[in-house]
Amino acid sequence: MLKNKNIIITGCLSGIGHATMENFSKNGANLWACFQKESPDVYKSIDNLTSKYNIWIEPLFFDFLDPDKIKEAVLKIRHKKQIINGLVNIAGITKDSIFHMIKMDDIKETFEINFNSQILFTQYISKLMLRQNYGSIIFTSSITAFDGNMGQLSYGASKSALISAVKTLSIELSPKGIRVNAVAPGVIDTEMTRKAKEEQINNIINKTSLKRIGLPEEVANIYMFLCSELSSYITGQIIRIDGGLN
Amino acid sequence: MTNIEKYREAFISTFNLKEIDPSELEYQSINEWDSVGHMGLMAELEDSFDIFLETDDIIDFSSFKKGIDIMKKYDVNIMV
Repeated sequence: MLKNKNIIITGCLSGIGHATMENFSKNGANLWACFQKESPDVYKSIDNLTSKYNIWIEPLFFDFLDPDKIKEAVLKIRHKKQIINGLVNIAGITKDSIFHMIKMDDIKETFEINFNSQILFTQYISKLMLRQNYGSIIFTSSITAFDGNMGQLSYGASKSALISAVKTLSIELSPKGIRVNAVAPGVIDTEMTRKAKEEQINNIINKTSLKRIGLPEEVANIYMFLCSELSSYITGQIIRIDGGLN
Repeated sequence: MTNIEKYREAFISTFNLKEIDPSELEYQSINEWDSVGHMGLMAELEDSFDIFLETDDIIDFSSFKKGIDIMKKYDVNIMV
């Protein structure tokens, strides 16, 4: 589905990001895979994928709290002089705490990583996409943005901000052929979810029609659809991936 | 190609200028130099001079002449 397409994915170290890197590789995409930190496991994983699927993956290491490093990563992408078919923004954090226990610094950090830095990175990448009059940008929101969740004020608010950004960016960038969408995952089997209270997770699962937790690959499939030509008439949308949460 | 030739060429090719002299142009002084055209011009200049324009400079880039001053910040000297 993505053969010979060149895609940027952030947050590739684990969870949904890692599954997306694998899924896109399997489907023939070349990748700029963004990680927060360098590690031997990263290189091993990349070597496996590139040899197995005959693609290229350029790893980029930067922290979303460091604007200079973000810019360096963008310059590396630009110097590759390749068409950029898609940008999949997945990197994110959560710092859960009930309202009266929230530290302002935690809210600021959550917004810095989940919203501000992603917008900055997207601003840079979309400038490159403008040259080619083409591209698909995808953000990762959350069902928490719609429904709220105990202890997730800052996380949910940052994910709501992304929804608003998608609506505006899709309008501003559509004249240049760039589509902007988001996915809103529900409870997905990742390390981030495993840190939450089991009772809280089970409560949400019981409210889904499918009565099970979602898999990272099931989110990756929607990113793939949104990066592909199959979604060529879709922009400004937020797609829930929540197993029918009621 | 000299810097001034490359700089002029960026305006001419981005806005498809045939008879207009780019040296007197200002933002929105012609239909082609609207907000979308502006980003196209910025991209053309970045590619031509292999630079990375800061957002503040993109905002301040209000005319052909002002652009010459801005380009100096990126060690691009344009002798008119």
